[in-house]
Amino acid sequence: MKMKLKSMKIVALSALSIIVLAGCGADKDSPGLEYMPDMYRSPAIEPYVDYGHMKERENMDSKNHLSALVPPVGTIPYYGTDSAEVMLMLPYKRLPNVSFKETHGVYDGMLTAENEYELAAADVNPLTLTADNADAIFKEGKALFTSNCAHCHGEKGNGEGPMVKSGAYTGVPDYANLTNLSDGQIFYSIYYGKNMMGAHGPILTKKEIWTLVHYVRKFQNPNYGPGVSVMADTVNAQMQ
Amino acid sequence: MFRINVKWWIGIIAFVLSSTPITFAQGDALFKAKCSTCHQVFKNSTGPKLFEVRKKWEDGGAKPGTIFQWVKNWQVAVAQDDYAKSVESWSPAAMSTFPDLTDEQITSIFDWVDSQTEGGDQAAAGTAVATPTDATEEESDLGWVWVVMAVIFVVIILAVGGVRRQLKAAAAEADGTSFDPGMSYGDEFKQWAWKNRKYVGIGGLVIVLAVIVTLFQSLYSIGVIDNYQPSQPIAFPHDMHTGVNGIDCKYCHNSVTKSRTAGLPTVNVCMNCHKQINGRTPVQQEKIAKIYEAAGWSPEGAGKYTGETKPITWNKVHVLPDHVYFSHKQHVVVGGVDCKQCHGDMTKMTETAKVQPVEELNKVEGNIPLTKRTLTMGWCIECHKEKEVSLGSLDTKKDGYYDEIHRRLMNNDKKLYEKYLEDGKVTVSELGGWECAKCHY
Repeated sequence: MKMKLKSMKIVALSALSIIVLAGCGADKDSPGLEYMPDMYRSPAIEPYVDYGHMKERENMDSKNHLSALVPPVGTIPYYGTDSAEVMLMLPYKRLPNVSFKETHGVYDGMLTAENEYELAAADVNPLTLTADNADAIFKEGKALFTSNCAHCHGEKGNGEGPMVKSGAYTGVPDYANLTNLSDGQIFYSIYYGKNMMGAHGPILTKKEIWTLVHYVRKFQNPNYGPGVSVMADTVNAQMQ
Repeated sequence: MFRINVKWWIGIIAFVLSSTPITFAQGDALFKAKCSTCHQVFKNSTGPKLFEVRKKWEDGGAKPGTIFQWVKNWQVAVAQDDYAKSVESWSPAAMSTFPDLTDEQITSIFDWVDSQTEGGDQAAAGTAVATPTDATEEESDLGWVWVVMAVIFVVIILAVGGVRRQLKAAAAEADGTSFDPGMSYGDEFKQWAWKNRKYVGIGGLVIVLAVIVTLFQSLYSIGVIDNYQPSQPIAFPHDMHTGVNGIDCKYCHNSVTKSRTAGLPTVNVCMNCHKQINGRTPVQQEKIAKIYEAAGWSPEGAGKYTGETKPITWNKVHVLPDHVYFSHKQHVVVGGVDCKQCHGDMTKMTETAKVQPVEELNKVEGNIPLTKRTLTMGWCIECHKEKEVSLGSLDTKKDGYYDEIHRRLMNNDKKLYEKYLEDGKVTVSELGGWECAKCHY
């Protein structure tokens, strides 16, 4: 009897120690045991959360359900009550050409057979440069350019960004060769993409893109600013 | 006869020396200036690859000279030649026209293109990319070593104990004293413990206390996710993207300046580069094929979007409980905090992203050193105490958020305000960053 009790004790002890030791395993895929739920799973909608697992219950209906959805067509975001700002942020009137469906993955329903890239040449940058706002616009443009464009187009806009230098990417043009483009066409290219470049409309607001258009002009003409346009300057340079 | 030969040779050498290098250099420069935006030498891009394109046209049955016409104005060539017409359908993107290029210039471009050797340009330019970072290094799990060592030690202890007992028995036999061989280890230990009961008691108390303290400490720490590194559907190498290729964090995580969350990039953002970059090694190609599948991109020929998209299910790494409000926009735009303060140096992160322990965050240059564990409240509080808010706004009469707070502080309690400014800096906590309701509401 005593022997039996002793062996049971040993078995129980070793079982316990095995369980404790197993608990020390480092599984990088597991966030760890949540023994007192600390509101990590929110009943309110949180971004990037799989709602298949909510309040310790599996819900197969919403498992792997896409939670980030495209807003309905024609949705206008709220941009305050400043009419100039609201006008600037209204949806872009130019549509992509039908060919953009295959080349840039644009969805059906927002395509046109017209060559709106050519028509965009007539568009004027609604952010007018003045002596007051020029510095702020160029500063903002520089910040936007650094985080969104410089890895390909280069800090100096010469098409020699770190992506190109590392040999990963090729075929980035030098802005100096693109002075024949109008502001509207540059906007169109950033918004819907052009050739190899993808659409940046989804990640930048219209105000940001027009700011970038101003900043890109600065590469083509260092004197670009209030009252100085790139086109006029190139024409002058050619005439001399 | 000999003389004529020599003349001929001199003529050929002179021709080679004079003309070839010039047209060659010209072809190189022209290709880079006019063609390289859309065409590559060995790889289809916006336009088809140009290596031996003249031969391709000839084999395809194009009339001689049509290719020159195509380069100058492809629409004229299409009207004249059937092969050119078939080329037109290669991609929906139309080629630019180059009416100012002469036949000689076009020939020099094609000569330069055909003289290239595959792999040469990549080997020269892409040495930095060729590093084997895509082979995700698996950290060897050393847990089993400890188990094996523990077993070995137990065996050694038992063996030594057995030897000792036998020696003791032998010594007792030699002395003629009695030795009870039936006494077990346990009994022996009990005897010894009873002899030294004072020390055993104190020692036991210390051990029990230590166990209780560590238990409670570990209980407090559980529930805070530290070092959590979930596997992702695509093992994304941050070091390659932001380190080698210098892409800013804010390009892919672009909602960081506009929203509460930093955001995961849509496949559209991946495709901005990966439309062209399809990987050099099989590992890379396999990963990038997953992006193509998600984006509905078929890379054959000119490549095209099929419209059959498939979302990628990424796993969330950082999770904050529901009772904390955290806004990335506030921290990045208003506070000017660098991403690496909380997420570590991603330019060196070869594996998938993880919650970095505070020790690793402290190693990053420029970070405010903190002591509390990552993602705990103590960690936030510590940083709010240290992080300085720009004093620039104090000098002007602007209407920014912090200017208003400064004004209220000044009007409300000037002494308090002066106390805050004693150490010459205004920290987040001094501007209300320690108010409970700032984060908990």
